[in-house]
Amino acid sequence: MNEQISPLWTHLTTEGRMTGTWRSALPNYQNQPSPCLGACPVNGRIAEWIKQVKDGDLQGAWVTLVDNNPFPAIAGRICHHPCETACNRQDLDETVGICSLERFVGDAALAEGWQFPSASIERDQSVAVIGGGPAGLSAAYQLRRHGFAVSLYETRDELGGLMRFGIPSYRLEPAVLDGEVDRIVALGIDLHLGAEVTDNAALTALRGSHDAVFLATGASLPKRLPALDYSRPWVIDSAEFLAAPADEQSDQAGAHILVIGGGSAAMDVARSARRHGREVTVLTLEPEGQLPAQQVEVEEAIEEGVKFVCGAMLQSAETDGTGVKLQCVHVDFETGKNPGEFSVTPLEGSGFELLVDTIIPAVGQDADIDRWSGMFDQQGSVIGTGTDWQTSAPGLFAGGDVASMSRFVTQAVGMGKEAAQAIAASLAPDIALPGADDPAQVPYERINTTYQDKHNRTRQRSRDVKERLAGFDQVQQPLSADKAHSEASRCFSCGTCIYCDNCYYYCPDMAITRLDGGYSVNADYCKGCGLCVAECPTGSIHMQEEKAP
Amino acid sequence: MNAPAFNENLHLLNGNHAVAWGVRLAKPDVAPLYPITPQTPILEKLIDFQSKNEFDAELLTPESEHSAMAAAIAASATGARVFTATSSQGLLLMHELLHYASGARTPMVLFNVNRTPGAPWGFWPDQIDSLSQRDTGWIQFYSENPQESLDTVIQAFRISEAANLPVMINHDAFYVSHSIEPVNLPSAEVVDGFLPRIPREFQLGDDSGRSLGAPLDQAGWNLTRQDMDVAMQGVERLTAAAGGDWAKLTGRPAAPLELYRCEDAEVVFVTMGSMCGNAREAVDRLRENGIAAGLLKVRLFRPLPAEALREALAGVPCAIVLDRNYSPGTGGVLHQELKAVLFGIETPPRLHGMLAGVGGVNVPVETIEKLAAEYRNAAPSAQPIWVE
Repeated sequence: MNEQISPLWTHLTTEGRMTGTWRSALPNYQNQPSPCLGACPVNGRIAEWIKQVKDGDLQGAWVTLVDNNPFPAIAGRICHHPCETACNRQDLDETVGICSLERFVGDAALAEGWQFPSASIERDQSVAVIGGGPAGLSAAYQLRRHGFAVSLYETRDELGGLMRFGIPSYRLEPAVLDGEVDRIVALGIDLHLGAEVTDNAALTALRGSHDAVFLATGASLPKRLPALDYSRPWVIDSAEFLAAPADEQSDQAGAHILVIGGGSAAMDVARSARRHGREVTVLTLEPEGQLPAQQVEVEEAIEEGVKFVCGAMLQSAETDGTGVKLQCVHVDFETGKNPGEFSVTPLEGSGFELLVDTIIPAVGQDADIDRWSGMFDQQGSVIGTGTDWQTSAPGLFAGGDVASMSRFVTQAVGMGKEAAQAIAASLAPDIALPGADDPAQVPYERINTTYQDKHNRTRQRSRDVKERLAGFDQVQQPLSADKAHSEASRCFSCGTCIYCDNCYYYCPDMAITRLDGGYSVNADYCKGCGLCVAECPTGSIHMQEEKAP
Repeated sequence: MNAPAFNENLHLLNGNHAVAWGVRLAKPDVAPLYPITPQTPILEKLIDFQSKNEFDAELLTPESEHSAMAAAIAASATGARVFTATSSQGLLLMHELLHYASGARTPMVLFNVNRTPGAPWGFWPDQIDSLSQRDTGWIQFYSENPQESLDTVIQAFRISEAANLPVMINHDAFYVSHSIEPVNLPSAEVVDGFLPRIPREFQLGDDSGRSLGAPLDQAGWNLTRQDMDVAMQGVERLTAAAGGDWAKLTGRPAAPLELYRCEDAEVVFVTMGSMCGNAREAVDRLRENGIAAGLLKVRLFRPLPAEALREALAGVPCAIVLDRNYSPGTGGVLHQELKAVLFGIETPPRLHGMLAGVGGVNVPVETIEKLAAEYRNAAPSAQPIWVE
C-alpha cells in the first residue's frame, strides 16, 4: 500500500504540555543511610564499598573503607559486626557476610601493598596522641590525613595495644596487624615507643608542646572478683596471660583451667589454653545465649572442647591439696541500662562445686583514671567527655576504653576517628565537622526484593578442629575471589543508588534524565506516579510531597 | 474434505500447536504473550521452540494482556514483526489498545482462541469475544481447522504488513484449538519467500525525527480514518492475492469466502469457524437427499467482503446464518452483517438467523439438516431463533 500515512507520523511534539503540573509529589534521589551504616561503629559506608567489590573495583572499595577505618583486614577478622545484625537482607534469607568481605578487601590491600596517600597539605599544628591501641592509631591516622603533625606516645615497645596483646593470633595474625599499623606509621608519625605518659605532669607538658592532646590509654586494670584471692599462685591475670608468648602461657597454666567471664577476652583465654592441651571450663554470670562474646567465638570454643557453666557465680575458692576447689552458685542475671551494668541474684539451694588447677578471671578491665586525678571530670569509671570526645580540660580529648564503656575494638577505632575530626575542626577553620547522618535508615520494606533471588550467605570456612588445637593458626579461612564476589552481590545496597536505570526505564513520562553519576527528575513532566520509587531496588528514591506555595 | 496425502511434512497437531508452528515459520521479532485458557498451548509451544533454539523472537511476558498489547504496539512501531495471542477475557482487556493498534497503523498478528466471556465463567467455544471487537479497526479471520489456522497465520503477516493494519485470527476453543488433525508444515524456505521483510515508511527510532500519534486537530484525526478506510478497502484484494500465492506454493486455496456446493443451491448455510465442518457434512447429506444445499464460509469477516457476499447470495432463495455467538438485544452478529450487506439488492434470499452453538453447545450435522428442512420455505422471522 502506498497511501500517505503522514497524519500519524508528524513532527509534532507534546513537550509543550507541562503535565508535571498534575503532580502532588516529586521523587527525590536521596542516599539514605543503610541500617549497616547506622550500626557501624566507624560509620563505614558499607553499601558503597560492597558495591565496589561487586563491580570488581577492590582498590576503590579499600579507599572507601579506609576513609573511616584504617584497619579493614583487622576489623574483617575481629569486629563484632553489628552491621550484620542490622542487615536488611536477613528479612529475605540471611544477613550479608560483611565482615568476611571487609577482610577480603583488607587482605587484598596488604597483598598488593596499597598505601595511604600523603596528606594533601601539611599544617603547622601538632597533636599528641597518647596510646598506640585502636583508638590512638585511628586518631593519629585521621589527623595525619588532615595534615597535622602527630606525635604518638606508647608505653609498650610495639604499637597495637589490645589488638597486639589481647587477641590471640588464631583470630588475628601478627603479620596482618603489623601490615595495617605500619601503613599508618608510614604516613609520617613521630613515634615515641616505651614512653610513659602516666601522670598529670607529663600530660600537662605534652599539652603545652602540642596544639591538642588525644588520650587513649585504654583500660589496663583488671576488674577484681571479691570472692577471689588474687595473690594465690593459681590465680592468673587474663590480660597478662594473653599478652604472654605461647611458651610462657603454657608454663603458667595447670591441667584444668577455670576461666571466669563470658566476654571476648574470656573466650580468648579459654581457647588459647585449649591450644596448650589444657582442660578448660568457662564460668559465666550470663545465662547461655546471652554471653557478651560474639556468638561465633562461643561456637568455636565449644567446637574446640571448652566446657561452659553459664548463669553461675563463684562464691569462694580454696586449695585442697589435689587442686583448687570452688564453691559456686547459680544466679538470676539481669542486664542494666548501660553497657557493663548488670545485677545478679543467687538462687537458693543451687550451689555446686568445681575442682580445677588454675583460675584465670577475665571479667573485664577498668581504665586507670586515678593517675589523672584532678585533671578531668569523671563519668562513672571513665574520663568524662562530650559527644565530641572533648574532656573538661581545654584542648584535651579522650577516647577508647579510657573514656567509654563501649569496649569493642572497632568502637575504639570509631571514637578515635570522631575525636580526630573534632580536634581537626577545633584547630583548623577550613575543616568542618561531618554532618550527622540521617537518623532514618532504609527499612527492609523499601527494598524491591523482586530484583533479589534468595541465596544464602557464603560463609568463611573454618579450619578443622584438630588442626586448630595443634597451634595458633588463623581459624577462619578467607573467601575466594569468586565467593567474595558472589557474597558482595547479595548486598541490597540499601539507600545507595546502583545506577541500574530502573527509574529511567520505568518512568512512563520519560521524565528521568541520566546524569554522570546519577539521575535528575524533570519536574515539567513528572506526574508524581511513584513508579520509579516502586521499582528502585535499593530504596534510594523517595516521594516528597509538594505543598502549595 | 479429503484426507491430505501423506508426506514427510505431515504432522499431527492440535489447532494451537499448528498456530505456534505458523508463528515459528513467520519469524516474528517480538512476541508479548500472556497465558489464558485455552490459548496457553500456543504460548507454551513457542517457549518450547525457543528453549530449543528453534525460535528466537523476543518473548515478553508482561503482567496482563493490556500490557502485552501495549508492548506489541510499541514493538511494531519500531519496525519489528510482532505476534501475540490471547482469548476471551484477555482480548477484552486489550480492548482499549485494540483501537490504538489500528489507529497507529501498527501491523501485527494476534491469534485469539474464541471462548465464552464470563459471567458465568466458562471455557467454551463462542465467537462473541472477537465479534464484539469488530469496530476496533482490526482485520478479522475465522479459521475452521488446524491447517487453516497455520496457513492463515503466515498469510496474515503478509496482509498486515502490506496494509499497515493489525490482524486478528480466530479459531474456536477446543473444537479447533485442542483437536488434533494432520497438518502440513510448509518449509522454512517457502515461508521466507512468501514473507519478505517490507521496510516501513516510518518507524520509531529511524532518522526521520517524527513522532507517532501526536494529538491532531479534528480534520487531521478525520483524515487518519479516511486513510484507514482506504487501507481496509484494499484488504480483501490483499487476502485474495496472498491466498492465491499460497495456493500456488502449497496447493491449499485460501480465499476471503469459500463457496461449497453453492451452484444452483436453494438453501445456503452461512457460517464461520469450526461450524463449517458440520455444515459441509450436512450440505452433502442434504444434496444426497435431493435438497440443493450449499455452504458459504466467511473466512474474512473484517473487512466484510460485501460485494462478494452479495454476489454469492443474490438469487439464492434461502440463506440460513448459523451464529455461534449472541449479541444481546439483536441476535447473531453474522446475521446482522448479512442483513446489512444484502439490503437493497434485487433478489435477496430469505435470510434466517440461527443462534446455533452459543456457549459451545454441540450442533450436530442432523440438527443442521433439520434446519434446512424446516426453514428453507419459511418466511424469515425478525427475531433470532435459538437452535435447540
